[in-house]
Amino acid sequence: MTMQREVWAILVLLLIAGAAVFAHATTTIEDYSRHNIGWNGTSSLGLEETRGGTPPAGSTLLILAPEGSFTEDDINRLRTHLEGGGAVIIADKEGRVNPLLSALGSSIRVQPGNLSSLERGHADPRLFRVQTTGNSSLFAGIETLLVNRPAAVQGGEPLLETSLLAWDDTTGDGRPGGTETFKRRAICAREGDITVLGDPSLFINAMLPENPEFIENLRKQSVLIDAAHSGTGTRNPIINTLTWIQATPLARAAIAALVILPVAYLFGRKRE
Amino acid sequence: MRPRISHIILVAAALVAILILAAHATAPILYTAENISTAAHADPATIKKRSPGDAASLVPLMDELLGQTGTLTLTIKLKDYESAERDLAHYAELSRRFDRLVITLDASETDIGEFQQMNRQNLDSLATLLDDSRRLDDLKRLEIEVRGDDGQHTAVVYEGEALRQKMHQGFSTYAERVPAMSRIAENYEINTTAYQESTEHFAEATESADAWRKETGGKTPPSPLGITLTPTEGYYGDPIQISGRYTGTPPEAPVEIYVDSRLATTTALDDAGQYACTYWIGEILAGPHLVYVTAGPAYSDVRTFEALAGNTTLTLTLEEVSQATVACTGILMTSNRSVASAPIVLRLDDTTLIEAETDGNGTYRKEIALPAGDHTIKAEFHGAGFPLNPSESETGIFRVPDELPSPLPIITGAAALLGTVWYLRRRHQRKAPEVEEEKMETIEPPEEEKMDVPAIDISDLDPRDAATVLFRALRARLGIPETKTPRDCAQIAPAHARFFKRYERIRYAGETPTEEDLRWMEAAARGDDDAA
Repeated sequence: MTMQREVWAILVLLLIAGAAVFAHATTTIEDYSRHNIGWNGTSSLGLEETRGGTPPAGSTLLILAPEGSFTEDDINRLRTHLEGGGAVIIADKEGRVNPLLSALGSSIRVQPGNLSSLERGHADPRLFRVQTTGNSSLFAGIETLLVNRPAAVQGGEPLLETSLLAWDDTTGDGRPGGTETFKRRAICAREGDITVLGDPSLFINAMLPENPEFIENLRKQSVLIDAAHSGTGTRNPIINTLTWIQATPLARAAIAALVILPVAYLFGRKRE
Repeated sequence: MRPRISHIILVAAALVAILILAAHATAPILYTAENISTAAHADPATIKKRSPGDAASLVPLMDELLGQTGTLTLTIKLKDYESAERDLAHYAELSRRFDRLVITLDASETDIGEFQQMNRQNLDSLATLLDDSRRLDDLKRLEIEVRGDDGQHTAVVYEGEALRQKMHQGFSTYAERVPAMSRIAENYEINTTAYQESTEHFAEATESADAWRKETGGKTPPSPLGITLTPTEGYYGDPIQISGRYTGTPPEAPVEIYVDSRLATTTALDDAGQYACTYWIGEILAGPHLVYVTAGPAYSDVRTFEALAGNTTLTLTLEEVSQATVACTGILMTSNRSVASAPIVLRLDDTTLIEAETDGNGTYRKEIALPAGDHTIKAEFHGAGFPLNPSESETGIFRVPDELPSPLPIITGAAALLGTVWYLRRRHQRKAPEVEEEKMETIEPPEEEKMDVPAIDISDLDPRDAATVLFRALRARLGIPETKTPRDCAQIAPAHARFFKRYERIRYAGETPTEEDLRWMEAAARGDDDAA
């Protein structure tokens, strides 16, 4: 009896350990990943995704933290989408989107840096509020927005701006001084149907409660995430395999067969 | 796995778990997020919140300061000195607020810090302008009253001339700052019209001294009281030699030396009518400063020297006074000189500012009571009122240990340990009698002959069921408890081991007893000695 109890205890422990290993293997801490349920993921964003092809006419496409380069086909597709009455929102703080903006004929550019502000409510000088200055449905009903280590945006019509007491912290010491000068800078600008937002961090799980009206406005507009170019995916092979299985009916059937057949075999053997 | 080994492993695992938990029991941070920021962003929920420090009022305050210069110079020009006093007091109050804000926001090393320095100089200039304008008016009245008294008239004219020169010098330095200040203000989208106008008002107030000079003859005879400054510039702590000679019969009155219209020192003329004294550059702003001397009714010309801004070094040492109190000490030096009576700001945890002041040796000391946790402390000198550049110390870290841990987790842990020991002992004791009983039974087999043998009828039964009935009968006959298995029975009554082993195979291996088996087992159950 004692031995049996121990065997059960070990089985339960193995089950718990197995569950922990599975949970560990199927979660990720990658920035912006929709599979990341942590503070820096986008699992709670709740926006639909589109991958490849031309998005529905008149829809708004969100390219969030773009990764990789845009091919001629990608650019033509976006151009067609814009010409068809669609809109594009690009959220980037690394400046990776600048070649795409140039190819689309936009004068807006993202300027990566350590944008900081004296007017802040957190110890981190790069976590501060900006004011809405332009008229856009994206920021309807919003006076200020908390941004999280944003990049400045140059060109176009400014929609979000810092106060005058913002500086590019080139020394990274968190203090203004030396050649660093205070200046009002745009965080978001619009040109035609292209909107460039210098802070993709607005979409991470930890930031959603900070700017609820902004996310509500996005959801109302049925914005679609361009999954092919956004950094919302993952490099985790286990998650990618599971996602592939979920998306492939044949693979789902194969997995179901792999589970059912051994069980059926065992039952049949017992009866004999 | 053998029970003893498994127990040892379980106990060891439990002890390791208890030890790990005990380490965290008093400060439960097991679930604190470790990665609170990445290169791309920070988790706002885990970043320490702080008051914005009224940063939004910084630019409006700069606007108000510039506007105030226009108002103040206008009231001075209009000779409404009562209003001018109020305006000056308001301007000084705004300047103090602005100074505090710049320190709080740690913006001293920006163009806002530069603006702050120039604003202090403006405040100084306008305070002097108010005094000079008022004195000029007094002199104008006095000059009319003493007409006809050459001695007194000459004295008034000398003082008027000294004042006129001083006002010109003051205007000159005020006007020099206008382009730089306007440029900074325009960076912050501040309208500088009022400030520009203040320059015009200042110029007009100065020109009134020129006009009066013309009214009084347009010429002032050379002053009998000469003045020479050597050198004409210096750093904090440097001496400026002020000397001169009185031409003619020297008055008996002492020689008073004024720096920026404030009496700095007093000396006397020697027999040759000469005077000399040393002025040490101390707590004055960097930039030009006006010096003149008086001896009785005689006023010297106005001379200037320049106080140059020197670099400073500031140290900080943290000493534990008690578990929750730290003493911050350090010294403020410029070149190889200590700086006395200088304000020092201690920035605690980047947010709280605590004021201290250096003594005559340039050292400061401040004791600060702190709550539990790690604290950063940095000493800063902002150069306010001194011809010195700002400096700051290295950041020191002071750790205040947590209060004594709560006894609750320790009591809980001890109770759990005692409970475990009690349970294990009880379990062990419960097992021990069984073994004892088993041993007793083995040593002293049951007295078979004393037992009543019940009638056994297995005629209508299935062979396996019949075997079970016979097993129960033998077990009952031997007085073995019903809870015992065939194997237990074989150990308790080794004389019947063959019976019980055979039954074990029937019962658990699924064997079917033969007729012969059943007959033999029935004989054994009935107590037939040959059968055992």
